[in-house]
Amino acid sequence: MTKKILVVEDDETTSDYIASGLQQNGFVVDRARDGRDGLFHAIDGRYAAIVLDRMLPGMDGLAVLSAMRAAGIETPVIILSALGSTDERVKGLKTGSDDYLSKPFAFSELLARIEALQRRGPAASEPVVTSLSCGDLTMDLLTRRVERGGERIDLQPREFRLLELLLRNHGQVVTRTMMFEEVWDYHFDPGTNVIDVHISRLRRKIDEGAATPLLHTIRGVGYMLGDTP
Amino acid sequence: MLCLAFSLLISVPILAFVYHQTDTLFEQRIRSRLDDRQQRLVSSYDEGGLGELVVAIDEEIETGAARGGAILLVSGDGHKIAGDVAAWPPTLRPPADWVEMRLYPERATQPTLYALRALRLRNGEMLLLGANVEDREHMRASLVEALIGALVLAIPLGLIGGVLLLRVSERQARHIHQVAGRIAAGDFSHRVDEAAGGEEFALLASAINAMLERIEELVEQLRLVTDSLAHDLRSPLTRMRANIERAAGYATAEPEQQALESISLDIDRVLRLISATLEISRAEAGVGRHQFAEFDIGDLLRDICEIYAPVAEERGVTLSVAKAPSVIYTGNRQLIGQSLANLVDNALKYGESGGKIAMSAAETDEGIELSVADWGPGIPPELRADAVGKYRRLEAARTTEGSGLGLAMVRAVARLHAGDIRLEGNEPGLRVVMTLHRTVPNIADV
Repeated sequence: MTKKILVVEDDETTSDYIASGLQQNGFVVDRARDGRDGLFHAIDGRYAAIVLDRMLPGMDGLAVLSAMRAAGIETPVIILSALGSTDERVKGLKTGSDDYLSKPFAFSELLARIEALQRRGPAASEPVVTSLSCGDLTMDLLTRRVERGGERIDLQPREFRLLELLLRNHGQVVTRTMMFEEVWDYHFDPGTNVIDVHISRLRRKIDEGAATPLLHTIRGVGYMLGDTP
Repeated sequence: MLCLAFSLLISVPILAFVYHQTDTLFEQRIRSRLDDRQQRLVSSYDEGGLGELVVAIDEEIETGAARGGAILLVSGDGHKIAGDVAAWPPTLRPPADWVEMRLYPERATQPTLYALRALRLRNGEMLLLGANVEDREHMRASLVEALIGALVLAIPLGLIGGVLLLRVSERQARHIHQVAGRIAAGDFSHRVDEAAGGEEFALLASAINAMLERIEELVEQLRLVTDSLAHDLRSPLTRMRANIERAAGYATAEPEQQALESISLDIDRVLRLISATLEISRAEAGVGRHQFAEFDIGDLLRDICEIYAPVAEERGVTLSVAKAPSVIYTGNRQLIGQSLANLVDNALKYGESGGKIAMSAAETDEGIELSVADWGPGIPPELRADAVGKYRRLEAARTTEGSGLGLAMVRAVARLHAGDIRLEGNEPGLRVVMTLHRTVPNIADV
């Protein structure tokens, strides 16, 4: 079944950009130009995710979101906003959005986040996962033991969480910002190569000496864990 | 002390007035009695001559009509003719209206204070009339006593009144101080209570409130302007970036790809500069106080150290946490984290040659002191003020990549938490100290 995404965005170019990108990646896209129309669509249709602009004519993005949540619509929502400051972000997340992306964004960043939301699924129905794996790499979430081909790998706590994030999204791109937000819980831009250095340390631990590398760099986007390049 | 001075200032003149009035009244009574006696004696002299006067004098002495008075009649050459005083006081020259003097009347055992009147009669005889004013001395003494008593009573009463009055104005002043503190900390919703504390305070309060209204309006305008500036600038830049990305999809040749990529990087740089500037002005205007929450300062330091240590290590610098006590602080964790990241980033850029960077936190009486020290070339003392100045703000934002919003951002965040930053010599190197105060009035408890 193809997944439907609702894009609520008043700026035509941005809307086109998002829609064409999503269509190229196999999504079906519905579009709304203002808040009222967006809310109408959101309540009416079944969407895999909603991309919601923060500043909309007619009805503000956050108002749409709270109206939606009040109506019991639990569709994952990513807020797009030109208001990038951290307090605006927290306001968005508090209102009930699942993710917050400030403009401008790279399409790949948005795509990575939409896909991450798809995997996460509705929180209640998710079965309790106790172990994660990719190829011959396994992670036991209870004993916090990580092995590659039966060999134990010692990881620092943050390295463990970084690898956990990559494993949960294996086969999909995880962007640097997603990592910084998820693993360290900070929303500022840490600088160009901070995440890269952490990744290269992790890579050394899990891929060094192995026949097939698992941790791949996706140029201009981020990183991906997968047993096929 | 002020109260005491105030109550003295009020009660002393009142009591002095009472004293003076009472004294004058007493004197007037004595004077009028002397007048009566003089008139009676002089009229008997006028009617019956010297003989009649002597009779009248003797009669006055016998009947005690003078009531403690003294009387003496002497001839022109000073010989006593009648009276109860032995001799004419040598220093007294008639006519005299009121002279106070101690005399020995014939029946008295000790000298008594008299108010004396002396007059010369028609044929040269001299008449002395005295009124006992010893009583007045007694009265004065008891009057003073009574007045002191009144003063003793008035002082505590005045003190209490003064303290009450002072307390009312003090409470009002404290209220204004509190409101001003909250406004200074960036919460513009507060107003001074105009109903409490009397007319003058109501006047002051309404003037202050009008001023606050205006400040709030201006800050709100700033917020609107920055938000719409952010929106208006970012939206076209986002479109540009989208189109470049799309163009990169069509471009096959490597040089085209590279050109598009470098345009994309420049757009990112412009966007970061906009964000940095906006973030600074928002923090300076006190926006971001709504995100205040409790967090552990020690954890924050360790987080930042952990994030940057690998990057530092790659550049041959050891980043460590020298001292990070576990202290719970209420503030904006994201902004403080970002500030520390900026300081570490700066230390890496300018103090790399020192080989090490140390972060530390300390609890002070007012709150928290965070510091990042390097062992690099440092900044000469005379240039330190410039380094955080307004001119350097854009400079810093421009030259610092990534998280770097420069020291201006750090200072804005410190001020949001009622603190500041200062630059110190690390001998060798530079230490930047960021102070965060606990006294920031909390929105939650208002």
